Amino acid sequence: MAAAAATPTVFLLMVNGQIESAQGLEEGISQITSKNRDAQQALVWNFPIDITFKSTNPSGWPQIVVSVYGPDLFGNDVVRGYGAVHVPFTPGSHRRTIPMFVPESTSKLQKITSWLMGRHPEFTDPKVVAQGEGREVITVRSQGFVTISFNVVTKDMKKLGYDVSPSDMHSVSLTDGIHNH
Amino acid sequence: AELHLIGQIVGASGFPSSSLFCKWGIHTGSAWKLLSGLREGQTQVDHPQLGDVAYWSHPIDVHFATKGLQGWPKLHVQVWHQDPFGRRELYGYGFCHVPCSPGWHALACVTWQPLGSWQERLSQLFVGGGPQLLNSDLIYTGADRYRLQTVAAGTVHLELGVLLRHFARYGVEC
Repeated sequence: MAAAAATPTVFLLMVNGQIESAQGLEEGISQITSKNRDAQQALVWNFPIDITFKSTNPSGWPQIVVSVYGPDLFGNDVVRGYGAVHVPFTPGSHRRTIPMFVPESTSKLQKITSWLMGRHPEFTDPKVVAQGEGREVITVRSQGFVTISFNVVTKDMKKLGYDVSPSDMHSVSLTDGIHNH
Repeated sequence: AELHLIGQIVGASGFPSSSLFCKWGIHTGSAWKLLSGLREGQTQVDHPQLGDVAYWSHPIDVHFATKGLQGWPKLHVQVWHQDPFGRRELYGYGFCHVPCSPGWHALACVTWQPLGSWQERLSQLFVGGGPQLLNSDLIYTGADRYRLQTVAAGTVHLELGVLLRHFARYGVEC
């Protein structure tokens, strides 16, 4: 997982806990990374994701929610961006670059106060980023992107009747349908 | 037959200002029934730090069941601008059909803005706030459009994943 930041500052992530085996962990925290001075201006985490889901209904398809934290001018750890994207549902290799956004206060006075105190608005539950409800009252500032690469394998989606790619669709006569299903 | 729409409204570009939010909705014919998910919503207001593309990343996860092909779902959007005083003005209307083939699609939905008389345009230059549609059905229907005069506005970017179920059973090729 690599990130390309918009501004040339140091981006940090909290390092906390050791992930011994990432088999099926639903959340994780990466290492703290910074930009290389002479190479391209990218931040690299290279964080492994390895998880299996099962369901009977594609509604509520999993989304990966990314929260990026880093130090501000005074050294406090503040949130630098939230972003979310659905895990692709077609089997194969995919790469997604997702924009990151930071919640912002609407009043100028509150912006100055939070900059001085080091306490910026953040979501109490990052899952808000994955939901569509209640977003109309939020004001955000979008900055930066995170790139995630996925390799997806599905099992039995065709057997349950789901078509995930145009090659899955084939014309079947009505009598065939009655015999097979 | 069932259709799942899983994706997001990524953002918008090409508008005069980038402090934008979007009201969206999905309109279907009478043969379609919403099984789960929200069929309309409003994104957050975004102020982009760099560049002039507003990003919302608003997730869409809807599940429809249908008895027929008529009234295939249409996703309509209204792009609004919020200025530093908190006033909101309309920047564009647009719609696009949900893709008919399963898989992941990146869509660019073009938008238009109603155009008023030259007096209205002059006052819009100074004060803001142009004409808006009284009936928002006009965004996705074709009737009575001949009375409207519009100007082109920016583009809304969407990434939609379409999952179909049992369409092949009924002989539908898509």
